[in-house]
Amino acid sequence: MPVSIGYVTRETATNLWRNRLMALAAVLTVGVSLSLVGTALLLRQAVNNQLSVLNANVNLQIFMRAGASTPETNAMRSLIAETHQIKSYRYLDHQQSYEDAVQLFRAAGEPAAISALTPATTPPVFQCTLVHPGEAATVAHIFDGQAGVYHVAYPAKSIHDLASLSNILQIVLLGLAIVLLISAIVLILNAIRMAIFARRREVGVMRLVGATSWFIRLPFMVEGLLQGLVGAALAVGIVLLGDLGIKALLHRFPEFATAVVPSHDVLVTEILVVVTGIVVGVGGSAMAVRRFLDV
Amino acid sequence: MIRFENVTKSYRGSVVALRDVSLEVTQGEFVFVVGTSGSGKTTMLRLLLREERIDRGRIWVAGRDIGRLPKWRIPYLRRNLGFVFQDFRLLPNKTVFENVAFSLQVIGRPRQIINTQVPQVLELVGLSQKAGRHPDELSGGEQQRVGIARAFVNRPLILLADEPTGNLDPTTSQEIMGLLDRINRTGTTVVMASHDASVVDMMRRRVIEIDSGTIIRDQARGSYGTDSSSSSSRGVPVVTVSAGVGAGPGDAGVRSPRRRR
Repeated sequence: MPVSIGYVTRETATNLWRNRLMALAAVLTVGVSLSLVGTALLLRQAVNNQLSVLNANVNLQIFMRAGASTPETNAMRSLIAETHQIKSYRYLDHQQSYEDAVQLFRAAGEPAAISALTPATTPPVFQCTLVHPGEAATVAHIFDGQAGVYHVAYPAKSIHDLASLSNILQIVLLGLAIVLLISAIVLILNAIRMAIFARRREVGVMRLVGATSWFIRLPFMVEGLLQGLVGAALAVGIVLLGDLGIKALLHRFPEFATAVVPSHDVLVTEILVVVTGIVVGVGGSAMAVRRFLDV
Repeated sequence: MIRFENVTKSYRGSVVALRDVSLEVTQGEFVFVVGTSGSGKTTMLRLLLREERIDRGRIWVAGRDIGRLPKWRIPYLRRNLGFVFQDFRLLPNKTVFENVAFSLQVIGRPRQIINTQVPQVLELVGLSQKAGRHPDELSGGEQQRVGIARAFVNRPLILLADEPTGNLDPTTSQEIMGLLDRINRTGTTVVMASHDASVVDMMRRRVIEIDSGTIIRDQARGSYGTDSSSSSSRGVPVVTVSAGVGAGPGDAGVRSPRRRR
């Protein structure tokens, strides 16, 4: 079936221009809905990354002040030993704590954050494993405000909060995205239907002189594909910008630095967004062609 | 070239458009199909294009049983058939040249072939001087010439025409018939549905008359109405035609079942 590229390009361009308002609406809807899909996916990645770190058998972290004295540290050591709720603990001094942080940042694909750290400014930390992780809040109270303590983090609570918050957010975003994707499909379907209607005379002649059904369909399918692709490109841009914004934000909250999504995961998300755009575009136009183009 | 074997076609179960029709058209023939509106003329042409499927029987076109043609082969069947409409069906935003070239473009013919065949066929229909005009700048007769050029440019084996003179005045109709005659002389089989008595009588070619989906007359050199001086040459008995049908192209008073779905 020799379909010339020039012919398809010309036909598609004319169709799109004739129907530009509908095409714009379809493209924008695809763009917005796919941005939501991308955001939801990235959010999920970020939360999962954070959770995997938090879950790594550490229920309570007691960060000492960077300048905490040796007596203060020793007092803390014995206090921890006296506390029944703590099963075991590991002490990381400045250097070890720095190496630990470097590892975390490297795993998160954020080499830039590493250079901002030095061993001297990294707080030493007691990483404690609790007998019952659920008691984290009570145990944290014992250490909060002790001499030399900078901050007590008990992720069990934040794990719970973070997980449920992100679940709700993901459901809302994905729900919105699905509704918008459906309307994007309908908009593309309608745009293609109008294009078919505008060209019904040509289509009638083509059928009778023996144009193959694919020859007749192709320009319409390409039109839908283009609308999906342009919308997806828009979404890719928005998701990239959003990712940069989130990364900038996370720098200010070192606690969640591990939530940063590595760039290869961002890439995978973007590819998924583009593929969804293609599916929406081709799907919408295929439905219109099947339904309204009698060949 | 064309053979109908006991073809029956009905729409939506109830309205019978063709009932047990058998006929044969050989290569190079010029055949009129006459009958009142709703008698089944258009259905016959649409069946040849396989726009419709038949209920029973078989249709052979150019040696192929078109009922057995898989769907993807239908376009290739249609490339052997040219079709001329009563209302021309030209594309208003294209010039005469582009309208004719369009039917070659969409079946993937290369440009150099288009650039030689289109001027040839425009010469044949006498529109070389108007190749750059748009359809709305042409008279009805000229528009129909473009329609014929478009149908013929791919040199089909068979040219089908559904009331091609239906929208034209008698003089222009004669010119169009002259053109169809010339095309027929190149060896192209022509099947023309018509209820224009004057053009049928003028040509004195084979006439097949259909009434309520049945062939009631098949004459070698017939006229529009029943002609007592000539008799059937194809084994189909001449049936006395009921009053009113032979009187001319009038449709009045004839029940016309809905032809389209």
